[in-house]
This record gives sequence, structure tokens and C-alpha cells, in this order.
Amino acid sequence: MTSPERTRAEIHVRGAKKSFSGRTVVDVDELVLGDSPVEGLLGPNGAGKTTLMRMIMHSIPLDEGTVTLHKQDGSSVTLSELPAHRMVANGVVKSTQVVSDFDQLTILDSLLLALAKPAYENPLRWRAERELAKAHEEEIRFQLERFGFGDPCEVAGSAGEKKLLDIVRCLLLKPDVLLLDEPTAGLPDDITQLVMGAVRELAAGGTSVVIVEHDLDVIWELCDEVTFMAEGRVLMKSDPETIRADSTVVEKYLGAEHA
Amino acid sequence: MQDVKDPSPPDANTDGAVDAAVADSATDPGFAQRHRGWLTGIAVAVIAVIGASTSEWVAESIVIGATENAPLVLAALGFALLYRLTGLLNVAYAETVTLGGYFAIWMTSTTGLGFAAAVIPAGILAGLLSVVTYLLVFRPAKRRSVGGLEMIVISFGLALFLRHALQFVFGFRARFFDLPPPNTIDVFGVGVPSYRLLALASVAVLSLAIYQFIRRTKFGLQIRALASNEDLAEASGVQPINVTLLIWFVAGFAGGLAGAFFGVASAVTPLLGTRQLLFILLVVLLGGIWDLLGVVWVGVATGIALTAMTLWFGSDLYAQLVLIVLFLGLLKARGNRLTAGSKV
Amino acid sequence: MLDWLDAFLISGSFGVVQIIGLGLLVHLQMGLTRVANFGVAGFWGLGLYTFGILYTKVDWPFGDPWQFLICAAAATLASAIAGLFIAWLIADLDVDGALVGTLGFATVIFILATAMTDLTGGAAGLGGLRFPYDAGPAKNDEFIWFLLTTALVAGILLYVLWVHRSPYGRLLIAVGTNEPLARSLGKSSTQAKLTLFAITSGLMGLLGVMQAVMFRFIIPTNVSINITLAALAGLILGGITRAWGAVVGVLFTVGLFDIIIQFYVPLPQEWYTQAIPVAREAVFGLALVLVLLFRPKGMLGEMKRPALMRRVHDFS
Repeated sequence: MTSPERTRAEIHVRGAKKSFSGRTVVDVDELVLGDSPVEGLLGPNGAGKTTLMRMIMHSIPLDEGTVTLHKQDGSSVTLSELPAHRMVANGVVKSTQVVSDFDQLTILDSLLLALAKPAYENPLRWRAERELAKAHEEEIRFQLERFGFGDPCEVAGSAGEKKLLDIVRCLLLKPDVLLLDEPTAGLPDDITQLVMGAVRELAAGGTSVVIVEHDLDVIWELCDEVTFMAEGRVLMKSDPETIRADSTVVEKYLGAEHA
Repeated sequence: MQDVKDPSPPDANTDGAVDAAVADSATDPGFAQRHRGWLTGIAVAVIAVIGASTSEWVAESIVIGATENAPLVLAALGFALLYRLTGLLNVAYAETVTLGGYFAIWMTSTTGLGFAAAVIPAGILAGLLSVVTYLLVFRPAKRRSVGGLEMIVISFGLALFLRHALQFVFGFRARFFDLPPPNTIDVFGVGVPSYRLLALASVAVLSLAIYQFIRRTKFGLQIRALASNEDLAEASGVQPINVTLLIWFVAGFAGGLAGAFFGVASAVTPLLGTRQLLFILLVVLLGGIWDLLGVVWVGVATGIALTAMTLWFGSDLYAQLVLIVLFLGLLKARGNRLTAGSKV
Repeated sequence: MLDWLDAFLISGSFGVVQIIGLGLLVHLQMGLTRVANFGVAGFWGLGLYTFGILYTKVDWPFGDPWQFLICAAAATLASAIAGLFIAWLIADLDVDGALVGTLGFATVIFILATAMTDLTGGAAGLGGLRFPYDAGPAKNDEFIWFLLTTALVAGILLYVLWVHRSPYGRLLIAVGTNEPLARSLGKSSTQAKLTLFAITSGLMGLLGVMQAVMFRFIIPTNVSINITLAALAGLILGGITRAWGAVVGVLFTVGLFDIIIQFYVPLPQEWYTQAIPVAREAVFGLALVLVLLFRPKGMLGEMKRPALMRRVHDFS
């Protein structure tokens, strides 16, 4: 299937359903993500945002429906048929919602792990480590400096540092579509600003960013478009101002003080 | 006194949770649906009787297979009890089986009891040994939150220790029961020693007793509650330590009986339990897809298949080989448990 | 020549070196990648028997060293293929499945070794092997073979040390500590496990070949689970996540029993036939339990990634 070239990669979710224990958690008829640079996914707890993100990454199998990636060059891939580890090669990357890290690995290890292409991870490639570090030296130094990591040869200590490290790993994968699940939760304000800056930069470079966030300021400030979900369904998709003023959204989620 | 609610919903998919058949079924399906297990059992029994009356090979396979391998079913049942209710895959269980054999020999030779009378105290001793291993090794390990892989290595270590330490007590060589030759009873034209029928009867009695105990009694309810959520069970008044000790005792008792029955059929050697370990594991992992009764059925089927193939090939080694390969294939087909629950 | 050397001391040291080699390979599988392998004896034994059968039962048109090299290569390859297959079998199973898969494989090898009497000699054993060279008295041959095996194991140690400082080792550690996260970074954990098992199992098979030649006689009890557990006990005592863990740990376990007690502690002669070998296994088992309860990281402790990264890179 070929179609005209796009400026951004898009993800089309069609008829996607998922239920746990007989309770429908996600039921999305039709949703296009990535048609604007930064898109927000908003909704009350239990709206199915995180589950939808995991379904897109195929770390949770779908009960019904398909998720398709339409790439910039016009080709398309059915993500809901790919194993989880093939997502990155197709340019789709997601940060983790729960703080997670590799127990024994240092910050530098994490960055090199994200940067290493399979060719470097050959069990018999003798000088791979030096070559890998050399090829990406500037990039590593830039990221370490930008986010103010301490000693890169230490294991990430605080939950905030692990969270930030997770985002930096995602950035290093140079995604076409980046899904961020509560990226700034638990980060101090100055670091949140740095992360938002990096996201904007990435979006300006042609990456489609989709972001789930409970910090509404981040959503209003960052997003070009917002999708509102409740009880597993997409209720509306519009620009931030419209969403903010909508009576259903106010009633179901934002509450009176935001009106 | 506070009532314990069954905290496991019918679709609980937590690890080590009680299975659907042990947990009460919430829906109310029709007669055929509800008694599917029994109906299948009756159908299989009818086919077996018809087969046994027409072919000598079938008759021998069924009668010898079910009686000779009854200790395997007994051992698997005890192992499954531990595995399903505490989540622990305890390799050292094989040594409980071995020691059950030694205890039974010791009982018959020191007290002059007959074999049938000696198996009970032997089983009790094995049960106590099982409780001691829990208190000395597995409980401390659990308190130190040792990982799943390390837990298995610990149980391998304990098994290795027991298997060799027992030789300093019971001697390095194989030991035999000093008993008069058993009566032989004719079943479908196949002669079966009486103690083998006793083993088969123990399997039937013990599996039904355990099943009913877990399903119907208050203590059983506590066991189920504990298996599905330890914290919640504790909060609602279950005393985990008593329940856990009971599980370990019953499992050890079943293992000890199995060891005595294995031993009386040939000899008791330090490797008696170890030789059975892989088959116990395979039966439990495969039969455990259903429930404790599933373990019993898969165990019986395994016993019959082993004997049938042994008679067919004329070698028990090739029979074991075919069965292991078959089971490993089934395990792979079932597979994919690791990646399904990923949370990234 | 070599009068000062006791022939039994050579074979005792040879055993220590063998188990260090196996421990190093298990370290890559279980210490870094955290894939349970309780079937080490199977991969090792497959190499042992494949070599023995090919060397003695096939009418080769050329003599040593070619006969040895061809048979050794074939045995290594057989173990590597078995490793690939078992890794495929257990790659997506949890630790319980991996236990049964690997233990089942080792049992299959043991049963084949016992049952295929035409090829393996069954319980009576397989003889007719010899050293691929002749250096005079048997003791000289054995000493040279011991040195060659030590060189092989030193090579394995160097490979393990290299793995620790390579992107490949980092991938293994990532898969071992957080497999879902590694997959989300685009790493195929299945492929990582397959290549790992192909290489390490092949090397286990090659160690089996060295064993076959050293003792020139193979019986099925050679491939029992005791060798798996000896390697594991040593590795865990030394430190399962450390490259040098197997070396240190095996010296303290197998080295203690098979060299120190065997040669330097004066014990009644009759103990050596049964009491000491049985006590050896009991102590190994006890060591496994006690170390994992009280010092789970072993003598060498935690993996020291920060120090290693500082040595290799200059980013601070």
C-alpha cells in the first residue's frame, strides 16, 4: 500500500478493544495520533490512556482492532502484529509510566545501550565498545550536560533521576513517534522545563509526540492538539482552548476551579 | 469471629493463585458443563475396560501402569500442593520422597510393624521433615525476599545436602524391606502385588481427601485465601504460619508415602526421589494447567503411558525418553507466560 | 621427568580447571542474563559422548591430530546446536519452565548415554580413546593435556572479561535485570538468549571433549547432575555476577576437596572411597543454601559496573 508522503508519521487506531476480567478498559473506534507535532491525551483516572499506549506498543495484545503506523515515506506497518522489540526499528518509542531501570547498569551504560545498534552487540565483535562510544561521544556529552546528570559512571539513584534517564534513552532512539506516559511526574520544576524544551525541539524536527500527563500546565503549554478520553472511549479531539472550555470535559475531569 | 471472604475472583490471574476448580465457580453452567471432569473420567474408564478386555497389552498397560506408578501420582500430588499453594518449586521434595522410603524400612525393621502399618508413621516423619525444611530454609529465604531463580538454586542445594547427608545415617548402599513376599491379586488377568493396590488406594483416598479438604472446610478456605493474597488473608484473621505449616506437612506426608511405596517395589537408594524428580515436575507443570485433580489425571495417564511404551519397546529408558520429549513439546506449546504480562 | 608430580594431582587439578570453565560459562547464562540452566551436564556430556563416539566408532581415513580436531569440532558444534534448540525452547518461559526444559535435556542425554549401548557402551562405558600425540609416559601426556585445558579455560576467562566490557555484555545484563524494558528499547531478548546459548553450550561441549581425552573412558554417571551443581556451588560461592566469581569459588569448593583434602590432609585411607566424595556433595549443597541465605552476592560481592565504566570510558 502506498500513499502520498507525509510530513509526520501517524498512528491510526481502528476498532481497538481491550477488556480485563470482563470490564472494557479501552474501546476506541477511530483515532489518529501524530497529525499534529505534540498531542495530549487527557482523561480521568481509569480512562484507559495508559492501556491504550501499551496497546499501541503491543506490550498488551488487543482483543479486537488494529493499530497501524503510517510512516513519512508513505509506507505503512501494522504495529498490532509486531512483537514489542520490533517497535523501535519502526521508529515508535514509548517511555515507561512506572519508574523502571536496569538494576546494575550505570547511567552511561543506559545511554550506550539505547545507542547500540544490533551490529555493535555482536558476541564476537572485538572493539565494539570503543567504536560505539566514539561514534556517539558528542551526543552522549550533550545529553549528560543538558539534563545535568551527575557522574555518568554511577547507577541512577533517585526515582527522578531514573525517570529522566528513561526519557533520555527514548530521545537517543531518535523516534518518529514518541509516546510519553506521564514524563514529568516526580521531576522538579527546572528539570520539567528541560524535558519540555527537549520535547518541543524533537517535535520541531519532525517527530510526532503523544503525551499523557496529569500536570495540566504541561498539557496546555506543550500540546497543539488534545484528545479527551473517558471510560475507555475517545470523547473529543480538538485544540487545547476548545477542550479547556468544553462543558463535558470540565464536568468529567477538570472540575469547577478550571472553568 | 470474623468470616474469611474468598478474595479470589473467578478470573484471578495472579501467580500461584488457586485454580478455577478449587475456587468456587461463580457461574452456574448446565449439568454436562458442571460435571465435565467426572463425565470425561467415566467415558475414559469405559473405553479402558473395553480396551482391556480385548487386548492383553492394553490390559497390562492399564493395570500395571496405574498400580506401579501410583507412587508417582502421590508424589506429584504433594509437590503440586506446595507449588500451587506456596508458589515454590521445591526440588528438595525429591529427598522427602527418598527419606519416606528409609523411614518405612526403619519402621518395619525396628518396630516389627507390617508394611501397611509402617507407611503411616513413615509418612508422618516425612511430613515433619518437610516442615523442618520449611522452617529452617524456605521461611528464612522468603523473609529475605530471595528471587525466584535463587529460590530454586537453594532447593537444589538443600536436595544435594539431604541426598548425601542421609547416607551417613542410613548407609551408602541400597536397602531392602525385610518382608514376606506380598500376596498377588488378580486384576483383569494381570497379577498385582497387594502393596501396589494399597498404593493406588492411597492415591485415590489422599487426593480426594485433600481436594475435599481444600474445597469444603474452613481451613481449606483459609488455604485458598492465603494462596491468592497473603496480606489480605492475614488482615482478615488467617494465621499464615499454621496454614503454611499444614500445607508443608501434608505435602511431605504424601511424598513420604510415595517413597515407601517406591521402595517396597524394589529397593531404597539415595537416588530414589531424584530419579522421579523430572517426572514429578513434568506432571505438575502440565497437569497444573487445570487444578490438583488435573495433576492426578495427568499423573495416572503418564503412569499408564510409561508402562504401555515400556512393554511396547521392551525398554523403560526409551519410554521415558519419548515421554520427556513429548512433555517438553507441550510445555513449549503452552509457553509465552513471561512476555504476556509485561508492563512496559 | 615430572617425577615430582603425582599423577592423581594432575587429574585433581584438571577437574578443578574443568569446573572453573563450566562455572564461567554458567556465569554468562545465569549471572548476567539470568536464564536458569540446570542442564549443564547435558551440554557438556553431549560434547563428551559425541567426541567419544565419532573418535572410536568411525573409520577415519587420516590419523591424529586431524582425527582429533575434526571430532572435537563436530562435538562442539553438536553442543552448540543443542544449546540453540534448548534456548529456543525456554526463551519465553519463566524460571520454572526453564528449570524443566534444561533438566529435561540433561536427562535425555543421560538416558541416551545409557540406552544406546551399541554406540556408547551403555553402563559398561566407552573406551578406546587416546591422546592425539605421544609424549612418552602417560603422565607426560596427561600433564600436557592439563596445560592445554588450562589454556582453553584461560581463554574462556578472557572472553568473559571481554563480554563484561562490551555492548554484547551490556545487552545480556539488560535482558537479565529488566527484560521488558530491554525489549522496549528494541532489543530482541530471544535472539540474545539464542546466541548466548549457542556459544556457551558449544564451549561446554568442547570442555567435555577435553574430559573425554584426559580420562580415555566415558560412563553415563559422568554426565549426572552433580557436575552441574558443582559448577553452580563454586560460582555462587565466588559471586554469580562477577567474572572472577567462578575462579575464586571453585578453588574454594572443588579445589578444597579434590586437591587439599585429597593430598594434604592425612585422613584414614578407607574414607577416600566413599565418605569423602559423599561429604563433598553434602558440603556443596550446604554451601549453596548458606551462601544464598546469608551472602547472596558471594565472596566477591556485587557487580562493580561504575568502576568498570570508569576504567573503559572517559566521560566524567
